[in-house]
Amino acid sequence: MRVLVVEDERKLAQVLESALQAEHYDVVVAPTGEDGFFRANAEVFDLVVLDLMLPGRNGLEILQTLRQRHIDTPVLILTARDGVDDRVLGLDLGADDYLVKPFALPELLARIRALLRRGRPSEVFRLKAADLEMDLVARRATRGDRLLDLTAREFELLEYLLRHQGHLVSREMLAREVWKEPRRATPLDNVIDVQMTRLRKKVDAEAGERLIHTIRGVGFVLREGEP
Amino acid sequence: MTPRWSTASIRVQLTGWYTVVLCLMLVVYATATFVAVRHEFLEQFDDQLHDDFETAEGFLAPTPDGRIVWSGDRHHDPDNDEDRGSDVWAAHGEPIYRSGASAALPPVALAATTSQPRYESLVADGRRWRTLTGTSLVGGRAVVLRVSRSEERLRQQLWEVLVVLAFGLPLVVVLAGVGGYVLARRALTPIDHLASEARRITADRLHERLSVPNQHDEIGRLAAVINNTFARLESSFDQLRRFTADASHELRTPLSVIRGIGEAGLGETRTPAEYKEAMGSMLEEVDRLANLVDTLLRLSHGDAGTVRLSREGVDLGQLTRDVVSSLGILAEERNQRLAIDVADGVLVKADRLVLREAITNVVDNAIKYSPQGSTIHIRVHSNNGQAILTVVDEGTGIAPEHRERIFDRFFRLDEARSRDNGGTGLGLAIARWAVEVNGGQITVDSGATGGSIFRIALPTGDAAATPHREHATQPKGGHT
Repeated sequence: MRVLVVEDERKLAQVLESALQAEHYDVVVAPTGEDGFFRANAEVFDLVVLDLMLPGRNGLEILQTLRQRHIDTPVLILTARDGVDDRVLGLDLGADDYLVKPFALPELLARIRALLRRGRPSEVFRLKAADLEMDLVARRATRGDRLLDLTAREFELLEYLLRHQGHLVSREMLAREVWKEPRRATPLDNVIDVQMTRLRKKVDAEAGERLIHTIRGVGFVLREGEP
Repeated sequence: MTPRWSTASIRVQLTGWYTVVLCLMLVVYATATFVAVRHEFLEQFDDQLHDDFETAEGFLAPTPDGRIVWSGDRHHDPDNDEDRGSDVWAAHGEPIYRSGASAALPPVALAATTSQPRYESLVADGRRWRTLTGTSLVGGRAVVLRVSRSEERLRQQLWEVLVVLAFGLPLVVVLAGVGGYVLARRALTPIDHLASEARRITADRLHERLSVPNQHDEIGRLAAVINNTFARLESSFDQLRRFTADASHELRTPLSVIRGIGEAGLGETRTPAEYKEAMGSMLEEVDRLANLVDTLLRLSHGDAGTVRLSREGVDLGQLTRDVVSSLGILAEERNQRLAIDVADGVLVKADRLVLREAITNVVDNAIKYSPQGSTIHIRVHSNNGQAILTVVDEGTGIAPEHRERIFDRFFRLDEARSRDNGGTGLGLAIARWAVEVNGGQITVDSGATGGSIFRIALPTGDAAATPHREHATQPKGGHT
């Protein structure tokens, strides 16, 4: 999978590059708008991560030209401005998703995975990690032989973690996707933490291997083996 | 370009207007005076002519031979010769007598003569004359008699009156102008004084006030109003200063933690696990910073009135149940009981997300500051066209002097405790903004058992249907 990152800020570009490489993407970094424009037009990528504020050539301009030439590569825009107008303009011009800086890396990676997965059927009825199994149709979760007694919220939470197994999940993602709250707030963070503690007790207690791990300062991950 | 006039000082403008008005009044007055005086003079002049006519009639006497002679030598004072004249003609036109002074005047047209005396103005040899012509019977025979007076003296007198008026008027106006200016300056000096005092009071010296010599006159009232403004300015400056200090403190704390962890981590070689721990700790602080900046930004959007609200009918009871079920888990952890008493169908017109935030923060606050195992009562009902949400806790309550400030940004009753709870110190500030932007009010009071009662009052759906300012929030006293 080839990903083009158009980002002028050197440190951020490096971070993005190493994070994407760690996820086994083939990363090309374009440090200027001109360079990004040229590469996006000349080469084939599976996805473009595009900063909107660029020296030389504006990100929106690059996006517009790409779409005018019917290049339908998914584009994820990064914007520092929290202005609604910028986002709306970007989405209108054909961006597929956006993130407002400062963003969390797990969030960016999840969005990228979602964009690359798009168009392919992803209907799954069973999820599995080690000896943890979820039957989404019967709404049953088992760990080995043990049936887990989960509340509705805990079930959704575990499902989300399993769907993203092996990947970091931030509190922000959980707030939006599981709690359906558009805005993250401190009370909700506490709610998520407590809920996660309870879920972990039910899933990991009495079991040999821990599956749900807290990554301090980042979020959570459901993973076999050590985090 | 604006005329200079409008940029002149009030003192000059006052004097100017005063002078112009006075000048106009004087001109009208002088004109009227002159016209009246002239009329009176002319009338008197004609009366004198009439007297002359009667005197002259007396001088005419018939002689025994049937002729008429003039016997009025006394009448002709040599001094008056120049100015007065008398002429007499017989009915058929033959002159009977002609005085020296009136020799230059043309003879009377006998055909035009009637028995009624007739006044006439004539010019002869460059001099103006006034004449009175009439017929008279002397000894049974008709004669034509004309008396005349030179108008030169009269005109001289009128001219003198005019000169006095014309030269006196500007003099009076100038004197009045100077007097007006002096008066205006005396009246306005206290204002200059106020201005220079006010100029002295800068942002650094806002505690100073203008002196109020007499608080009942206009200047005193003005000074009182300005002092009042200074007082409000001072209080908002204080709030701003406190907010800036608090905000920098809040921002600096995570920054110094991050720096500390980074420096300590680089100090000596550690195990990968320790590095991970350090980085995680740093990220926690970064998260707190980001959260803080985000919240501050939202509040400042709120202050600027640039938040767009989408108002709809919201079931306050349902919304409260949602919030409670979401936060209930936090209360469970602390063995607290959330007792809900919600009336059905309490509708408010509000932005659901913003209002939800307010309720979340107030309920979360109650959970945080209530002791373990206590009960928090949450009640929703409507009363007098208002939807009321009360949250009653069994905590230690809030001292009356802190009640107003509890909604201020970064105000904390207990520094260490609330930061350990992960609070930003902005929860209740957000709650207040969120309630007020929806047209409601939030207050805090002490309960009978010593805990706090938070009360959110919102206009109900029907009442709120009247037009509201859609996305405007006026920062209130506590906001800066």
